[in-house]
Amino acid sequence: MEKLGEKKYWSPYLAGACAGLVLVLSVWFTGKYFGASTSFVRSVGLLENAISPERVSQMDYFIKTTPKIEWQWMFVFGIFIGSLLASRLSGTFKMQAVPEMWRNRFGPRISTRAIVAFLGGLVAMFGARLAGG
Amino acid sequence: MTTQLIYGLVTGILFGFFLQRGQVLRYDKQIGALRLMDMTIFKFMLTAILVGSVGIYLLKDLGLVKLSIKSTILGGTIIGGLIFGLGWGLLGYCPGTSMGAVGEGRWDGIWGLLGMLAGAAIYAEAYPLMKRTVLTWGDLGKITVPGILGISHWIVIPLFMLAVVGLFFWFEKKKL
Repeated sequence: MEKLGEKKYWSPYLAGACAGLVLVLSVWFTGKYFGASTSFVRSVGLLENAISPERVSQMDYFIKTTPKIEWQWMFVFGIFIGSLLASRLSGTFKMQAVPEMWRNRFGPRISTRAIVAFLGGLVAMFGARLAGG
Repeated sequence: MTTQLIYGLVTGILFGFFLQRGQVLRYDKQIGALRLMDMTIFKFMLTAILVGSVGIYLLKDLGLVKLSIKSTILGGTIIGGLIFGLGWGLLGYCPGTSMGAVGEGRWDGIWGLLGMLAGAAIYAEAYPLMKRTVLTWGDLGKITVPGILGISHWIVIPLFMLAVVGLFFWFEKKKL
């Protein structure tokens, strides 16, 4: 029988249960709940700080959400590392510019995908922030 | 502070590992869920919520953890949710999964990450206006389902669990 560690993909139920367990342990040991969006605010605040610190220091939103690297920022960066590790170990890492479903419908052009993905990210983040996520 | 950063990194690595193994980081799976063709994302998410709610409420009852309840503001949640869904459908990744997608080589996630930075910058500009308008509409405060119903969370959680497991059986039957 194949060992779990060698299996390319897991059942989403098992992977989800493991993720839930990580959340419980995180809340238990460090009091931290999971999130990602706030880190984008902090990151863009750090970038704007490099250009105009006076302006950033007066903006309500950056006063509320200080531009700095903290627990959640490292958590989001960790997702990148964890995914890289998991995909490398299972041989499922694949450099891909355009997802299959997109390619089948809209073709292989990178620029089309880039523009829509950028706009999508912009809109999604605005909505997430408004909803408090 | 440094300890907190290391905890954040380790927690993120574990979470990212399981996201990747569950195939949750794929555009095809996320759009598949929005097109009601593939329920992988929901299976992962709902199982994580079930384990999380049982574990965290158990620890809370033992006095070991505190809940982190956000205010429910209907204006922000409903309008923000609609806007988020539109963007999610265009991008095919959410904020955390964009990062994870890049980790497994699906580098179109980078466009999404850049867009999100732009979106965060725009929201920071719009925040004073939002605070005066949308974020004052329907502010219900820090509510929970057991709180509104006035019953124990140990009634709500098993009922929720039952509903979710029923949904899972239906997904499997329909091969979604």
